[in-house]
This record gives sequence, C-alpha cells and structure tokens, in this order.
Amino acid sequence: MTRIYLHPLAIRIWHWVNASAFILLILTGAQIKFGNAIHFFSFQTAVTVHSLLGWLLLFNYFIWVVYYLVTGNIKIYIPPLNHPIEFGKKALTQAKFYGWGIMVGDENPHHSTFDNKFNPMQQVSYLMIMVALIPLQLITGFFLWDPHLFGPAINIIGGIQIADLIHILLWIFFSAFIIVHFYLATLGHTPMAHIIAMFTGYEDEHDDHGHGHGEKHSHDEGHGHGEKSTGH
Amino acid sequence: MGTKKFISVFLFLSFMILPLYVSAAKGVSAEGNKLCFACHADKNLNKKLMNKEILSLYVNGSEFASSVHGKTSCTGCHPDISMDNHPRSRKIKSRQDFALSVSRNCSNCHTAAQLEKRQPIHKFLAAKGPCIECHGSHYIKVMALQKAGVKENIYCLTCHRNRISMSMKNGEALSVFVDESAVANSAHAKLQCIQCHTEFSKTQHPMRSFSSRRAYSLTVAELCWKCHKEAANLYESSIHLDQLKNGNTKAPACTDCHGDHAVASTKKDKNIGIVSCNKCHSDMAASYEASMHGKARMKGDEKAPTCASCHNAHNVESAKMSTKIKEGCLKCHKDTAKVHSKWLYNPPVKLSSFAKAHFDVVSCSACHSPRAERAVYLSLYDRRTGKPVSEEEVLKLLGTPASEGLMARIDTNADGSIDPKEMWGLFADLLRKGVIATFTGNMDVQKATEAHMIGGKAEGVKDCDKCHKPNAELLQNVFVVVKKADGKPMVLPAKKEVLNSVYTILPMSKFYALGSSSMKLLDILFIVALLGGIAVPIGHIAFRVITSPLRALRRMGKGGKK
Repeated sequence: MTRIYLHPLAIRIWHWVNASAFILLILTGAQIKFGNAIHFFSFQTAVTVHSLLGWLLLFNYFIWVVYYLVTGNIKIYIPPLNHPIEFGKKALTQAKFYGWGIMVGDENPHHSTFDNKFNPMQQVSYLMIMVALIPLQLITGFFLWDPHLFGPAINIIGGIQIADLIHILLWIFFSAFIIVHFYLATLGHTPMAHIIAMFTGYEDEHDDHGHGHGEKHSHDEGHGHGEKSTGH
Repeated sequence: MGTKKFISVFLFLSFMILPLYVSAAKGVSAEGNKLCFACHADKNLNKKLMNKEILSLYVNGSEFASSVHGKTSCTGCHPDISMDNHPRSRKIKSRQDFALSVSRNCSNCHTAAQLEKRQPIHKFLAAKGPCIECHGSHYIKVMALQKAGVKENIYCLTCHRNRISMSMKNGEALSVFVDESAVANSAHAKLQCIQCHTEFSKTQHPMRSFSSRRAYSLTVAELCWKCHKEAANLYESSIHLDQLKNGNTKAPACTDCHGDHAVASTKKDKNIGIVSCNKCHSDMAASYEASMHGKARMKGDEKAPTCASCHNAHNVESAKMSTKIKEGCLKCHKDTAKVHSKWLYNPPVKLSSFAKAHFDVVSCSACHSPRAERAVYLSLYDRRTGKPVSEEEVLKLLGTPASEGLMARIDTNADGSIDPKEMWGLFADLLRKGVIATFTGNMDVQKATEAHMIGGKAEGVKDCDKCHKPNAELLQNVFVVVKKADGKPMVLPAKKEVLNSVYTILPMSKFYALGSSSMKLLDILFIVALLGGIAVPIGHIAFRVITSPLRALRRMGKGGKK
C-alpha cells in the first residue's frame, strides 16, 4: 500500500467549500425556479442564500485561481496539446475502462500523482468547468443578481433573458454533473478512497496496481511538492 | 331785371355763393365747423347710449385742425348732420355701433379699391371693422407721421388693441385682438411683437391666409420654437406632435396649453400642468384629485405633483409605451432607490441599483396603487434604433394592407390573443425585413385612472411572491403594445404563456422576472438531466453487479498465478 499526496490543504478547502456551495446553489436555484412545487425555503430566503453563496463561490474561485497560478500547478488541468493523438488515445482508454474495464476488473489506466492528478477525461472536463462554465455561471449569476448595475454588459449579450437562459442551462448541467461526479468519486480502490483523500489529502494505492510508467512513489512526509511521492 | 342787374347777381353768386357750395362739397367750411365747435369744444359734452355707455362728443379743435382732415368740414364725415336736424335725439345702440356707422362714411372718399391698393390688409378689415378703431377719428395723421416715433408695439396695437378679426378659408373668424394688459402681465411682457411675429413690422404686414383657426394656431406654434428650442426638441418626441402630424388637429400645440399673448410663466402659473391637461383629459381629473397627490395639491401644497410632473410637459409619451413616467415620481422622491433598498436588496450588499432594476420594468403605480389591476405590457421596439416600431411601419415592412390591421397579421390562429408562436412569427418576419425587434417589458396598472390612485406607503406591494413565482399573481395579464403613427398605443391581448416560452427568448430577451418568466422547456430539461444524472450511477452500478462474477473469476485467476 502506497500513500500518495494528491490534494494540498488549500485545494481541499476550496473543493469542499465549492461542493457545499454548489449543492446549496442547486437547491436554492430549484426553489427559486419551482416556487410552486417545492418548499424548502421561502422565495426570499432562497434568493438570499443563493446570492450569498454566489459571492462565496466567487471568492472561492479566486482561491483556486490564485493557488494554481502561484504554484504553477495549473498545468495539471492543461491537456498535452502537443500530443493530441496520444492524448485522445489515453482518453479513449479511460472511457473504455469506465465503460467495460472496470466491470471485468481491469486496472485503472490512470494513476494519480500530485503533478498528474487527472485522467484525460477529467482533465478536459475540469478544464472546461473551471475556466469556462463556472466563470460563465458566476458572470450570468451576477447579471441576474443586479440587472441594473450590469445593464450595459447584459445588453451586450442580448438581454437579461439570455443571461437567465445561460445560467439555467448551466444549473441544469451542474445538477446532473454533481450526481455523476459523486458517483465517480466512489470508483477508487475502495468506494471511500477518493472521498477520504479529499479530506486528508492522501490517497492509498495498492502496490499491486502496476504503475507501468514508473510513476509509483511511496509517500515520504516532508518532501517538496511536485514530487511523485510527496508530502505537503 | 336788366342785363347789368343780372350780371351783378351772377357775379355775386359766382364769387360768394358758388365757392361756398364748392367748398361745402369738398368739406371745407370753416364757418360750419365753427358752428359745430360752438358746442363740441365743450369737454363735458357727451351722450348716453342705449347700452348705457357714455360717448364723449368733445372734439379738440386745434388738434383736429392739425390732423389730415383739418380742412375738412364736419359734415364731410358726418353728412347726416345738418343745421336742420341737429341737435336731435338720435338713438345710438353702442359706441361700437356708432363707430361702425361713422366708419361707413370714410368709404365716401377712401374707396375699398384705393385702400386695398395702398395696404392689402384693408381688404379683410374695411368691410368689418370700424376704420376709426385703428386710425382714430378727429385727429388722424398722415400714416408716415403716425408711424414716426411710435414704438413698434404701440404701432401694432393701434389696430390690434381693437376687436378685429380675420377670416379663415373655412369661414371661421379668428380674433386678432391683443389684450394689452394680458401681454403686460405675461411672461413675454418685455418682448416686442415682432420678436415673435417676425414677418411683421411697421413697414410690412404680409397677407396670409389659413384654412382654419386650428391651422393658424399650429403655424403660430412654430413661432415659439424659435426661442424655446429645448421645449421644441422635447415636443418633437411627444405623442401630441405625433397626433398632430397624423391629422388629429385636437392634439395640443404650444398655445393650447400656454395661451398666446397671455402666455404665463410656468414659474408663476403653478397649475398650468393640470389645467391645460384637463382641457382634453378631464376623465383623469377625478382620479388625480382622489390621489394623495391631488389632495395635497388641493390643500395648497404647490410642490405636489401635477400631470406634467410625471408625464412631462413637452415630451409627453404614451404611458403604455413609456418607462419614463417614474422619472416624474423620482423628481420629488429623490431618495426612492435608497429607501427601497432598505428592504429590496440582494445580499450581501444593499445597493440602490437593485431597487432600480425593479424601477426599470415596474411602474411606481403598479406597486403603489393598491386596488389597481396590473398587467405586463410588452412594447414593440427596434433594438437597433431604440425607438418604437409603429403599426404602420410594421404593416408596410410586411407588405400587409393597412385595412387588414396588425392584429389580424400577427394573430394567425384568429383566437384574438397573441401566443408565443405568433410573437415569434412577427419577430422572424421583421428580422427577414432587416428589423431586429424586441418587446420591452413593463409592468403597469391596466387603467390609466388607476395609475393616479396612489396610496400610502403601507399599501405598497412588498411581497416578492406577487411577481416572483411561477404563475405569479401579477403576471396573469399580458398585452403586446404597438405604437401607432399618431403616437397612441395599440394594446393587443397576449397569452401569459409568452412569458415562459422558448419561442419568446429572442423576441422578449430584455424582459425577465426571476422565478416567473423562465421557460417551461428548461423545466423539462432539468428533470431529464436530473434523471439522466441519477441513471448513470444506477446503470453503472447495475452493470457492475451483473459483471461481478467476471471480476471474481479474474481475481481468482490472478490469485492462482500468485
């Protein structure tokens, strides 16, 4: 058994704040949208919580941006654009693993390390979410938060209905995404492995999971980040 | 009689009597005039007329002698008076009647043709007005002398202080009388006549003709615009000018509200913004008077708003098409946004702009007229120009005969109400003709009278659910508003589903009410996505359960190897 340091403290905080805010934003969003059908909160409470969480999400997003830009570790989100075919093949292999390999007991083709945390599918989807979808959700959210203040910007995108349309489409996407995301989080070597790792920062990996690329590294406390067996 | 005697008599007659006769014919009779002045030099000589007016019969002899008629005998102008019949008890109805009868005698010498040749305006005046009203009677000077040294205004008033009128082509008579005292008390007291009536002067009095009194007053309005450019520019965008341009001659121009020569300073006349409007909009008066604004006004609060305070004085817009009326409210209620933001804010900060976001689409009266019925009005505008697209323009663009009407063109299923597909149809048709239409939303009261029945602060709508929930109470009535060329709004019923349809995302992309105007299709999409999201793990887990024997076999194989 090898312990791999995957998630530094700042990112763990960011992740759980993000996750909690997301869930509550989805629920309060549902309350605002389906005011007649569901009654978790009053309209005013739903809007209040939704708005406060929107700001929290913005603040949290900046933690993520600052952390990854300062550490330079933003590269873990960037697919190897200079090797698109190889990347495509890896993504296909990963998809095959989730679709079939996992059923027959194949080993996960991707082994996370601090510097190579995401498999190709995660890399593409998280990159899209972090640099496009969340910013877009935040921007349209702020447009709806104060349509008068952001009036000129709203006019540029075609009107408040367009902002609302984008915001709701993304809300629908995130609602579905978070369910799938939670399920995928249970597909570690044990159902709780990834989830515990997101609390502790460390993920256990069985040694018999052959790390074919020589990427297996035991955890040594006190190592500098970026190493394959590191502790932070 | 001998020849000598006959010659003597002939010469006597020739030298003594004939000159008297001739001079009498010319009106020159110093003796006769002396006889008249024997009485008429008396300053106290006057006559009581039938209407109880007192007519002074005094004539200043020396002034008369220096007048243009100084050598004319009295009987030249008063031929009906002679030693035989004067003085006598002659019944005269009034001074006016007397002036008219005396003026008729002027034409004995001054023929109509002669007068018209010298000053064409006489054509309209001579037949109606007494000459003496303009020219005076006993002290008439040569015109050149009369004009010299007389101020322009005084010169104009020589005639216009009299009850003279001019004829319109349609037979109407337009009074061109100018009340001197009214001018003196007006906002234009210090102006010269010719500063407004620039075509006229001491030397020029052009002949003009107008089809009607209304045509005249509309022409006069342009005189005002020369100085009042700012008001003119505002008036350009008003529903009143639109109506005038489209043939509604009842629509007001400048003088209809401000008067003409008695034009009041709006600083002094605090009621002009009510009185002038009530001339046409008297049906609104009762609701205004019943409002807290009207009541305050009646109690003497001059700061309480008038019609013009909210609707504007010059750039009056259709209330249905405009979102600017609230600017009138905000002129007095300056801190409205701040006051509203105490409770109407979006956390975490209390920004007045959030209250303004509501003001942008909700009229003040929609919340503050507690008993009013509200509706959403979606007004057709050209997105690029920001101006309304009129019914006539739409019909022309779409090649629809005007007789068909816009509603028939939009309402393709002829159910009397515009549904989402029909709104999209109009939007798409206009887009094909190069017009990017947009239906801007505005929540307002349905009846204009209700808009004036503003209640107290406590009665205002504060409950968000009234608007912000699906099928919200205040979003049940929806209308499409299209401006007509005459500025009046055409209000067409629409189905409330237009607020929630995918067809109307683009046509009404500028209107949105959180929680109530979102598309039904998105609700379905949300449910589908949620079910899809749940189906992925369930399906995957199920597949994993089914394939678990395969994994078990593999583990066993691996274990065997080990």
